[in-house]
Amino acid sequence: MAEANEAGGIGGKQLQLISRDDQSRPDVAISRAEELCSWEKVAALTGGYVDSLVGPIAAVAKKHRIPYVASASLQKELVQHKNEYFFRVSCLQGFVEPLCGILAQRFKPQHLAILHAATPGSVELARDLERCLKTHGLNVQLIEKFRPGTPDFTPLIAKLANMNVDVIVSGGFTPDHILFVRQLKENRISPKAYIGPFGIAYESFIKTMGKDADYLYSTCAWNPGITEPGTEAASKAFIQRFSRMFNQQPNTTNMHGYTSARALIAAMQAVLHNGLPFTGDNIRMALTKLDLVLPMEHLAFDKTGDPLHYNHTVVQIQKEKLVVVYPSDRAAEPAIYPMPPWDQR
Amino acid sequence: MWTTVLVSGITIGSFYILIALGFSLIFGVTRNFNLAHGELVVLAGYVAYWLWDGYGLSFVLTFPVAILVMLLICLGLKRLFARLSEPLELNSIVLSFGIAIVFQNSMLFLFSGNYRLIRIPFLNNSFQFHGVYMSYGQLTLFLLSLIVIFLLYLVMYRTYLGKALRATIQDKETAALSGINVTVMGTLAFCLGAVLIGLAGPLYGCTHYLYPSSGGEVTLLAITITIFAGVGRLSGIILAGWILGLAESFTVILFGSSWREMVIALLLLTLLAFKPYGIVGKGES
Repeated sequence: MAEANEAGGIGGKQLQLISRDDQSRPDVAISRAEELCSWEKVAALTGGYVDSLVGPIAAVAKKHRIPYVASASLQKELVQHKNEYFFRVSCLQGFVEPLCGILAQRFKPQHLAILHAATPGSVELARDLERCLKTHGLNVQLIEKFRPGTPDFTPLIAKLANMNVDVIVSGGFTPDHILFVRQLKENRISPKAYIGPFGIAYESFIKTMGKDADYLYSTCAWNPGITEPGTEAASKAFIQRFSRMFNQQPNTTNMHGYTSARALIAAMQAVLHNGLPFTGDNIRMALTKLDLVLPMEHLAFDKTGDPLHYNHTVVQIQKEKLVVVYPSDRAAEPAIYPMPPWDQR
Repeated sequence: MWTTVLVSGITIGSFYILIALGFSLIFGVTRNFNLAHGELVVLAGYVAYWLWDGYGLSFVLTFPVAILVMLLICLGLKRLFARLSEPLELNSIVLSFGIAIVFQNSMLFLFSGNYRLIRIPFLNNSFQFHGVYMSYGQLTLFLLSLIVIFLLYLVMYRTYLGKALRATIQDKETAALSGINVTVMGTLAFCLGAVLIGLAGPLYGCTHYLYPSSGGEVTLLAITITIFAGVGRLSGIILAGWILGLAESFTVILFGSSWREMVIALLLLTLLAFKPYGIVGKGES
């Protein structure tokens, strides 16, 4: 928004951001979205973190015929309701493809376990990943659900060790990884790889875990230093502006927010540029025709509102830094596989 | 594998005991249902984190400071709870719910929404005992719980003060008629609770992680164990903590992680149906 306003706004008018806190509660998300659409008469909606909030907000957007670009959403069901006002900059396939690729082509584990949190995105990731691995001839030994915030993973770790699992894919979140990895270390269990698609590729995670974060794998759509080829300058400009405004380095979540905002601003500009009335329906139409190359992705939406080119890379933490290791054309360093046992670090 | 699971169950159970003791004691003596108990544990953890990370204070030395801070906060809370009218249980739930929200938002403001961990390499190192790896953190938790239980047992069952506290838990009015100053007993319960919270908090930050809203989970654990044990029953809390810890661990192995909460809920419902006064209760109200 600041970037667009500094460049003169859209059609000579300054954009105004009206934000509301959904408190991570679906009921509050609905009431705040209703408030924004009915009282504030906003032109478009963005934001919403995780599908339990994105789903209800999307329904409100549809009711008011206002486009909504979600910055963090994975659940497939949300794009199957023919809600033409709903768009998102992320999708599950962006996680599944690189994970399936590195597991099937590089690691080829004998015994693989997929653990997942009891959340829609995590459940679907586990299911789709298993399906993809099967097509590549890889069997998953164990798929197990756990509740985010589980206080002790030791019994599960004992079970995995007993099954000689050599690669663990965990669809948990940052706190689950913190506990799980520490308890792996405490029990001297060293799988060949530990992959956490959500919640590991963050500087804050690496800072919290210190050297124990080394060799862990994750996926990443964007991070300072990891950007869509050809967008290095735009990425650098974003980092500089963000650091100046917020006095900290941006992370991938911030970039998802930036990407959604860029999509909406571009669509609004297109509406005004074409001399069309500034309505929700016209902004929605402009979004369907969008084609933008941004640091995180080449952004264009399909007919359901899903992004066409959302791809993660597989990253590994090496010497407390995130390093791209897959796919080959984006890899900065080779993957260290198997990861060294705890007592040899 | 089974020994590992057994050790894990006992260790996590010991931590549950440490968390629940303070809640149960305060509730037993004062009838104040403190829904902000978990937030206090997390806050004590943050105090330790702040001293350890910001000032390089030794982890051991963070305990007395955390206890002191908790003593001050708990005495403040006691004054607030003292202003409540009957029904105490219900009104204290409403009040402490508000306090919990205030604590959560204050922690969010002071410490941000990042996950914090007190990283003590020694406590994360492990040793092998009869083929089972156990971390020094687990051992510390287990030993500290035993020491706390033993000291609390001495206070509760070997001193006049403990007798007065137990009398207040059993029947506040009768205790008052017998010459026991129940108001002082309430203050003492809050002080003992604060000490227990001050001990549990830094350990929580070291063996789990700190997050402003993670206190709700801790409160729920404390409530579950108190219901399981029966109000103010030390032996019941010990038994309940270990049973819950072991039930969780063995459920993961036998049925899978997704059954963990279901089994605990079934255990609790069964207990409420057949032993409504707690696992060691004998039917008295």
